[in-house]
Amino acid sequence: MNSLRADRSDIAAGAGAMVPWLAGIVPFGLVIGVSAAQADVPTLAGWLTGPLIYAGSSQLATIGMLDGGAAPVVVVASALIINIRLIFYSATMARYWRGTPRWWRLVAAYLIVDPSVAVGLDGYQRLGRGRGHAHYLGGAVVLWVSWLAAIAAGAMVGASLPAWLHLEFVIPLYLAGQAVAKLAKPAQRRAIVAAATVALLALSAPLQLGTALAIAAGVTAGLTAEVRR
Amino acid sequence: MSTWIVIVAAGLGSYLFRLSMILLTSRITMPPYLERASGLVAPAAFAALAAAGVAAACSGLGMTGAAAPLAAVAAAVIAVLRTGSPQAAILVGMPALWVATALLSS
Repeated sequence: MNSLRADRSDIAAGAGAMVPWLAGIVPFGLVIGVSAAQADVPTLAGWLTGPLIYAGSSQLATIGMLDGGAAPVVVVASALIINIRLIFYSATMARYWRGTPRWWRLVAAYLIVDPSVAVGLDGYQRLGRGRGHAHYLGGAVVLWVSWLAAIAAGAMVGASLPAWLHLEFVIPLYLAGQAVAKLAKPAQRRAIVAAATVALLALSAPLQLGTALAIAAGVTAGLTAEVRR
Repeated sequence: MSTWIVIVAAGLGSYLFRLSMILLTSRITMPPYLERASGLVAPAAFAALAAAGVAAACSGLGMTGAAAPLAAVAAAVIAVLRTGSPQAAILVGMPALWVATALLSS
């Protein structure tokens, strides 16, 4: 890596490139904080999904399934299935991090998530490997701090708001919004419809296996659509 | 106790996913179908969790009681379809829920 002094402007540029992403990410973090406060799990445990799992949809699934009383192995399996995309991101970043110190790879890998990869890749493509590291770090650290702060703020606000607001309904609405926004693409549409249908049919499945079954059905249905095209 | 273990295990597994290809690196290429499947996991998970969450909110409320959350979901879906913004689901859905709940209980 280049010296940190030389990298300051690239760190700042990476941080700046992350700012537009925060408009969509901070509300998501607030929703997760609210869900942690409303769920039947310790609020600190809900917040800890931030630094430990550090991937929104997986965190939401973990909190929701723990709240619903799912078996521990099912919760962990579902969280990891949702996070399987991280392996692809890891493969994408590996080519830029080859030959870097081990400590850098350990830290940089921890910060891998959708926005940090997008901002990081842009930096590597525009600035090259040396300066790209600083650009990645700047964006990823801003994201990490904002994410954890948003979850903490949501958890504090969510615990003190009156019950008539039905804040627990924010989460299904948020998820429905995310799903509906992805209906335009045929494969995703098929995945969404199949997953929602199986989730409803499998509501009484033991160990809360319904969610994992529904995700598997949705992905299979989506892949079928892609093969037919 | 198991709550903490679950969160730590999910976190550790997620970190290993992040580290996996960086440590194994170079020549391994992912099969294309797995790459396509990874793009479908998030929408499928969102849809499954949303459907289960709405069903949970409606359970035990009876036909009249369930009408408020269902109306809120309908309003949210229409708002997202019309605006193209996922955030519209909460901005429209929550006020719709409060109004429908107030109307049904009056």
